[in-house]
Amino acid sequence: MNPRSPHTSPRWLNQKTMAMLSVGLFVTTVVTSAFTEERTPTTRPFTLVPATAPVGRDSMASVKAFANVYKVLMSPRCMNCHPAGDIPLQGDDSHRHAMAPRRGIDGKGVYAMKCTNCHQPTNTPGLHTPPGNPDWHLPPATARMVFQGRTPNQLARQLVDPKQNGGKNMAQLLEHAHDGLVVAGWTPGEGRTLPPLSHAEFTKAWTTWIKTGAFAPKP
Amino acid sequence: MDTQSVSRRNFLKVSGLTGVMLSLGLYLPTHAEEAEIINTAGAADLGTDLNAWIRIDALGKVTITDHRAEMGQGSYQAVPQIIAEELEVPLNEVAIVFAQGNRKYGSQITGGSSTVRGSYKNLLKLSATARQMLIQAAANQWAVPVTDCYAEAGHVIHKPSGKKANYGTLVADAAKLEPPKDVVLKKRADYTQIGKPLHRPDTPLKTNGTAGFGLDKTLPGMLYAAVERNPRLRGKVKSFDDTAARKVPGVKQILKVKMLVHSTPREGVAVIAESTWAALQGKKALKVTWDDSGFEHLSSEEIYKRQHEALQTNEGLSLKQQGDVADALAKGSKKLDVVYQTPYQSHSCMEPLNCTAYYQASKVEIWGPIQAPDMVQDFISKEMKLPREKVIVNMTFLGGGFGRKAFTDYPYEAAVISKAVGAPIQVVWTREDDSTQGPFRPGISYRCEGAVADGKISAFKLRMAGQNLGHWMGAPKDKPNNSTNEGFLKPYTESIKNLSIADVPFETPIPVLWWRSVYASTNGFAYESFMDELAHEARKDPMTFRREHLPDERVQKQLDKLAEVSGWNSRKPGEGYGMAITECFSSTVGQVVKVSKNPNGGVKIDHVWAVMDCGWYVNPDTVKAQVEGSIVMALGAATQHEVTFKDGMAVDKNFYSYLMPRITDIPPIDVFIMENDADAGGVGEPGLPAFSPALTNAIFDLTGKRVRKLPFSLATV
Amino acid sequence: MSSIIITINGKDHSLDVDPQMPLLWAIRDVVGLKGTKYGCGVAQCGACTVHLNGEAVRSCVTKVSRAAGQKVVTIEGLSKNNDHPVQRAWQEIDVPQCGYCHSGQIMSAAVLLRDNPNPTDADIDAGMAGNICRCGSYLRVRKAIHLAAGMERKVSSRNE
Repeated sequence: MNPRSPHTSPRWLNQKTMAMLSVGLFVTTVVTSAFTEERTPTTRPFTLVPATAPVGRDSMASVKAFANVYKVLMSPRCMNCHPAGDIPLQGDDSHRHAMAPRRGIDGKGVYAMKCTNCHQPTNTPGLHTPPGNPDWHLPPATARMVFQGRTPNQLARQLVDPKQNGGKNMAQLLEHAHDGLVVAGWTPGEGRTLPPLSHAEFTKAWTTWIKTGAFAPKP
Repeated sequence: MDTQSVSRRNFLKVSGLTGVMLSLGLYLPTHAEEAEIINTAGAADLGTDLNAWIRIDALGKVTITDHRAEMGQGSYQAVPQIIAEELEVPLNEVAIVFAQGNRKYGSQITGGSSTVRGSYKNLLKLSATARQMLIQAAANQWAVPVTDCYAEAGHVIHKPSGKKANYGTLVADAAKLEPPKDVVLKKRADYTQIGKPLHRPDTPLKTNGTAGFGLDKTLPGMLYAAVERNPRLRGKVKSFDDTAARKVPGVKQILKVKMLVHSTPREGVAVIAESTWAALQGKKALKVTWDDSGFEHLSSEEIYKRQHEALQTNEGLSLKQQGDVADALAKGSKKLDVVYQTPYQSHSCMEPLNCTAYYQASKVEIWGPIQAPDMVQDFISKEMKLPREKVIVNMTFLGGGFGRKAFTDYPYEAAVISKAVGAPIQVVWTREDDSTQGPFRPGISYRCEGAVADGKISAFKLRMAGQNLGHWMGAPKDKPNNSTNEGFLKPYTESIKNLSIADVPFETPIPVLWWRSVYASTNGFAYESFMDELAHEARKDPMTFRREHLPDERVQKQLDKLAEVSGWNSRKPGEGYGMAITECFSSTVGQVVKVSKNPNGGVKIDHVWAVMDCGWYVNPDTVKAQVEGSIVMALGAATQHEVTFKDGMAVDKNFYSYLMPRITDIPPIDVFIMENDADAGGVGEPGLPAFSPALTNAIFDLTGKRVRKLPFSLATV
Repeated sequence: MSSIIITINGKDHSLDVDPQMPLLWAIRDVVGLKGTKYGCGVAQCGACTVHLNGEAVRSCVTKVSRAAGQKVVTIEGLSKNNDHPVQRAWQEIDVPQCGYCHSGQIMSAAVLLRDNPNPTDADIDAGMAGNICRCGSYLRVRKAIHLAAGMERKVSSRNE
């Protein structure tokens, strides 16, 4: 969603500068394409992968895996609770959630419109009933983790940026594939389509993407 | 007014009676099983009748009967407020009970905005008569001239001596007197209650859960029923498999049922259970095979296509014809020929349909949210072959009505099931049942042709193609639908010399019924949109154009007021203003809507001004509330929801797709009431029809885009 | 069926019900408190709103088992004398028309004001958009919440 950004060397330098300024671990994600990554790995001041957990850095495999990750994250089951605004989305067409519930500071809604007032610990039976999870919420206002409208490049960079991902390090990111609310996307309640990959396939893609260096696709 | 003291006092009295009468199970839940059901017909302890509406006990406590349904529109206040005025008792000290269905009250059908306008003159007179009898009784007791006595605050006072008697000490004697033939009514200027914004007596009951609605009724041994009805009215039950349903704990019985919608049988399968939940679970577990042969299964697209085709080829049955429309259209320099389309709608009362019935030993008693207890009594009496007095119909509070609950199908269904099961039964309609079964407001298309000459309308021709409610109730099909001109202001017919209004017959198997403001709810959109289009053609200001075509002093004053309150004459460039004025049930409402471009796309409503002329009125706050509510309902019908059909069935089942306006959608609304000495007009409905044309006219003013089809989206218009 | 114990309006109730039964029907049909209303059954309209441990849950989609051992307050228990500031404001403004949705509206408004004693119009919208009123009393709901916010909170008893 950022078609105006040229992906030329000045852009790369700019991103590299940003990366160097970042105190986070996941600086490799600032690369914007496999090509630039291939040419510059050793110039990085930091590495994504701690020395104690060596993995095979492979930008091609990483970007390929991310394509699958992206498909899942942008499916309604994931994106609906990662909206661009402060109101979640709803349905397979990702329309704005009826009755416009607000995110609130903690991501759990506000006043008489808290998520768990309707969303139960488990799915409510029937069509068009609230899906359930004990931990139902949106990302908090401090780390809104917006998926809606993000390009693959933007989303990849955002996911590994601790400033934007809720302070997650690699281990926590890897573990996030098994988060209860993430897994709940695969038991969405009656009448809702599943994400385009199985949870196992998603986990594999997610893990591969991160372990091969969490490269971002070309913008 | 001191809310707390009034509501406390009122609450105790009112709930003590209505709570018992309507639903003791709700008022004293743990004692429901032992409750004796008291009603106005059988309750001796309420005192002595002075007439069918007024009863006073020995302590002077006045009980007033509301013979009409209370569905939010305020009969529970209006009827007692009228009576209290002439009876000279403070409204906040009377108890109020609902009447049963009974012909002694005249018509009880709470529709057509008729409660006040239809009965206020009689109510004033019978209350003044009762007051005069009490005064006479006092004069007799004191052996003083009656002309020396007057009534005040529940007492008769002897002016010269200052002697005072409570109504309670007079009522027994008063009841024996011959009612005087001519009584003097109070002058409007002397009213202390009518015309004042007194608090609603039902408000306290509605803030702590004690108001008894239909669904709150309980009876000893009562069972609950949920019915899987054929989603197409004319379909039949071919067979059903209730194996799974019978396994649901609490389900007691499953039976095929047949009830009547108008005169069309509707078939379904009823699950009888010990709790609402068990009945609903049982219903869900049913597998019913329907026989849907022998009638058309229409889609919305097909319905409107046929309406549009009919409007191109059929001149229709003429309702009104004056001048030479064809000639004037031919000669007109600027001509318009457009089609407007309005949707089917569901009533979607917040309280879904329900009814409780107990059929025993050749009599049946009904409790429910019922708009027309007398009509229900008539219908059940006829269909179940019971004498009228063996059909006892009790009104509860209604959680909305809007016309749907003025119908007979759901009480009749409850009576039929109770008879079959042999127990008191509460039939619970799910929201899905309520949304999809109809009867619906008909969706109607209008073809409007017109011409302007010299800045005035030289020809106006309207044809309407939509389902006729009357045909479902036995009206002849070769006569025009006499509701085609509902909504249209009569003075227009004086200024428009060449005028033609006709009804193009149109039928489908989909059941239809009146919906708040009935035909005016759709006619108003066509008439007042077209008026705006003609004004534009004539290059006239829409308000001026209306003025020039409405030669009526009362309407002119109303337009003055509308222009004044809305700032019509000082509107600025870039602001979209639209207006409309419609008549409905003897009241006229003009509205101005202001819109602006929404930075997020589309259009937003900035303000609505409404001016109601309902003549004589009871409670200005209720009048305002009704107009506010009518505008919100019209907003939903114009911009958010419609009933669509696919394969002969209603598609939208619940509020997730039949979207209701929410608090986030509501613009500021200011309501003004015209003060004059005209007879009372309706209040509950007339505020609705002018809104949608005023809105779309405003959108045209802002964007140049003419909206001719409802509903439309404000976000994308 | 094992019994489920719920504290409703300050009183313990032992309910022998299907644990899957929505709290709404347990409150209405089993406990017999009819002030909580059925409107849609799918958490769209808010007519069934009750307080579960102080939060405005939609009882039509809340299984009765979720309330086991918890505290529920219904409209009947919001105050002893119909005088919670929200109730008093509702009476002063004459908010209800048919009144069917207002048990839920009031329960929602009570939570809104607890969490935000001085709400703006936008806050009110954010808190009240889950409650549908077919009579269209929304402008009065908004006005009454502002009024209640300004009232001294003198509640005879809150059974929470």
